[in-house]
Amino acid sequence: MATPDGRAGAALPDEAYLAALARLPAVGPGRLRALVDRHGAAGAWQAVVAGTLDPAEVPRAGRDPVEAVLVRWRRAAEALDPATYWQAHLEAGIGVAGRSSPAFPTPFAVDDEPPAVVFWLGDLDHLAGLRAAVVGTRRPTAYGRDVAHELGRALADAGVAVVSGLALGIDGAAHAGALASGGAPPIAVVGSGLDRVYPRQHGPLWREVARAGVVLSEYPLGSPAAAWQFPARNRLIAALADVVVVVESQATGGAMGTAVEAARRGVPVLAVPGPVTAPSSDGTNQLLFDGCPPARDATDVLLALGQEATPPRPAAERRPRPTGDAAAVLAEVPWGPVPAERLATATGLDLGRLALALDQLEHDGWVALRNGWVERLGRPAGSGPARGSG
Amino acid sequence: MLATVPSASLVGIDGFPVSVEVHVAGGLPSFTVVGLPDTSCREARDRVRAALLTSGFSWPDRRTTVNLAPTATRKVGSSLDLAIAVGVLVASGQLDGEAVGERAFVGELGLDGTLRHVPGTLPLVDALDADEVVVAPASVAEAELPGRHRVRCAPDLRRLVEAMRGEAPWPEPPDPPPVPPRPPEPDLADVRGHLLARRALEVSAAGGHHLLMVGPPGAGKTMLARRLPGLLPDLADHEALEVTRVHSAAALPLPGGLVRRPPLRAPHHGASAVAMIGGGSGRLRPGEISLATSGVLFLDELGEFSPVVLDSLRQPLEEGVIRVARSEIRVSLPARFLFVAAMNPCPCGEGVTPEACRCSERSVERYRRRVSGPLLDRFDLRVQVLRPDPRDLLHGEAAERTAAVAERVARVRARAVDRGVAANAELPRSELEAAAPMSADAKALMERALEQGRITARGFQRVWRVALTVADLEGHEGPLASRHVAEAFTLRAEPVAVTGPRAA
Repeated sequence: MATPDGRAGAALPDEAYLAALARLPAVGPGRLRALVDRHGAAGAWQAVVAGTLDPAEVPRAGRDPVEAVLVRWRRAAEALDPATYWQAHLEAGIGVAGRSSPAFPTPFAVDDEPPAVVFWLGDLDHLAGLRAAVVGTRRPTAYGRDVAHELGRALADAGVAVVSGLALGIDGAAHAGALASGGAPPIAVVGSGLDRVYPRQHGPLWREVARAGVVLSEYPLGSPAAAWQFPARNRLIAALADVVVVVESQATGGAMGTAVEAARRGVPVLAVPGPVTAPSSDGTNQLLFDGCPPARDATDVLLALGQEATPPRPAAERRPRPTGDAAAVLAEVPWGPVPAERLATATGLDLGRLALALDQLEHDGWVALRNGWVERLGRPAGSGPARGSG
Repeated sequence: MLATVPSASLVGIDGFPVSVEVHVAGGLPSFTVVGLPDTSCREARDRVRAALLTSGFSWPDRRTTVNLAPTATRKVGSSLDLAIAVGVLVASGQLDGEAVGERAFVGELGLDGTLRHVPGTLPLVDALDADEVVVAPASVAEAELPGRHRVRCAPDLRRLVEAMRGEAPWPEPPDPPPVPPRPPEPDLADVRGHLLARRALEVSAAGGHHLLMVGPPGAGKTMLARRLPGLLPDLADHEALEVTRVHSAAALPLPGGLVRRPPLRAPHHGASAVAMIGGGSGRLRPGEISLATSGVLFLDELGEFSPVVLDSLRQPLEEGVIRVARSEIRVSLPARFLFVAAMNPCPCGEGVTPEACRCSERSVERYRRRVSGPLLDRFDLRVQVLRPDPRDLLHGEAAERTAAVAERVARVRARAVDRGVAANAELPRSELEAAAPMSADAKALMERALEQGRITARGFQRVWRVALTVADLEGHEGPLASRHVAEAFTLRAEPVAVTGPRAA
């Protein structure tokens, strides 16, 4: 596309410069917004390259003096060709929208701390409906994993898009549930560039979500998953969600951060109750104590969204009642993980008979076995097995 | 004048006969050793010269040549000192060749003429054809182990020559040192709790199954591993001789003569590849895996060993020998050991407990990659060792004693011998079907595990062998029952170190 003054660079859209600016080191959403608001995307890039930026117009962040940051920017900018970089985004099929773009998602546009630019894989129209964030620890118990999977499935069934972060544990289980339902499309917000799958084990899940729904990020291609980007990602999840459900969380952790971000935005936060003795539910139980309503199932979440919800019929117990050794073993399995060897001590069974009994119990859906730990499972609600794959 | 004296030198753990030829002739005084001597062997010249002079003999001030035949093989160490000294005495006419006769000599000389013990005396003497062998007094016990030779000793060169000339009776060998009471092996009864790990030790000892223990620091992995050798039966005669040869060649002390108990070797994770598999310049010393032969090799902190060292274990684990090759020599050393390893589940060590691990994804990933999959696959038994419940420590019942478990282990080993192998773990795939048929229930359990991808085809055979050992421990006859297979699965869990603490 030729332009009147013939400069090749002028053929690039604003989004190309936004992507390039976002790839500079130590550029957060705040700095990016300030630069683009003042100079426009192309103008800001040229100012960075020419070194004509006034340190006073760059917000302070972190410990590095602004002057040093400007030098690093200029050096990085010299190594980056916006045209080639833009071409990479086009080839990867990644959508890009700046704040002035009509495609820029409304929930972000009205937010206090909006991203200066959004990248996505998949279809942005999937943001149109109701959205519920399901978040939690990366180290869930089988209980948390099951509840997240079931919530994801039931919410998607009810037409509510499940928003989560594609992290290990609860995030992954919720999305796996939503995908299993085939209902409302899943929405993911990640903390790295869209070509940097993190965690790596979630590659298949990541692609599935992009195929069925949309994966969003405020980081351009090639941005690695830096630790500070995850809290920033959590604010976007809070901004997108109409309600946030914390399934399982330790007293501190990313999911608690998401809850705080949601509360600041007036988004209702629900918490799934857990055993008061379980460290994995310390955070959620604290949220309940602080006045968040409990989320026992998808119905509670739908009510919080102001939706009519038919309470699910209490599912009939369809699991075959254990007998013999299996009954004796199940009686000793608590509602939290226990090492299998402790069950041998408790029941007095030898390892062979215990293993057989556990195999039977697992097969019938009474317990989950993982790495030598045994955990009791509740009655599966609705249809299908409620075992997560994340 | 020419003298030929038989002796022996060491390569790996085997001796080979060396013929020491000494020639003394007119010419400029000189002393040359030819026939590929290494440094310590070349130094023999100085030791022998001093020993002769201090013992009251004279040094031939003529042209002296010592040839070590076969000349193409490198001779290492000081075992030829004594033979060279005797050869010089004969060749220089200070000792009658008739007096020496057909005797062979193995020993090092001190500057004062003292005869000293050399490492590897057992294999050295074993390599000799002579009917009579002269060694240092300290070597007599070891030299008598092959049992084919009349073993003579003398405290020093002077007394040796007197005895050979018939001027004095042969010195009496020193009283064999009293066989020290067998050092107490740590007893299983001291272990409270650890039901799973104790059982894994028993199965490991009974079936010769390699064992991996995964657990947090302080859970007791090392304590458990140290109790494994106590469960193993005494070494058979041929094993004892082989182990003793290895230990002799490595200059380990042999307080009770033959090594009768399975050795335990527990090298630190800083060990180099050479220290582990053997080698080094010169005579190729046996490494830790050979020293552990017929016993237990325990590697604590498996993940901290260098990947090169760990991968070098794979071939000996498969074949039971390690072949070390250098440009000039090539040796096969025995390396048939029970492999026991311990590792933390992740860098923080807490990964066995759900929710407890604080490691980042990346560090877990890195840690997991340190130990290769093929190596982890070699472990028939993989158990998690958790910190014991304090209640077990305080009130737990006293557990079974080592002696009681060892009895069961011995019975299982005897059944394996009836099957034609030393232990169930060595049963070839082709004989599994006949030796350990499975009941219909057991088959169904296996099939389900295979379908669910819980075990691989290789894992399938390993579980099968473990199930056989479990059944043998019970004294079970007939096809394997499902409980045996189920227990084998319990004992071969996917360790957290393989799956990562957070995998489903």
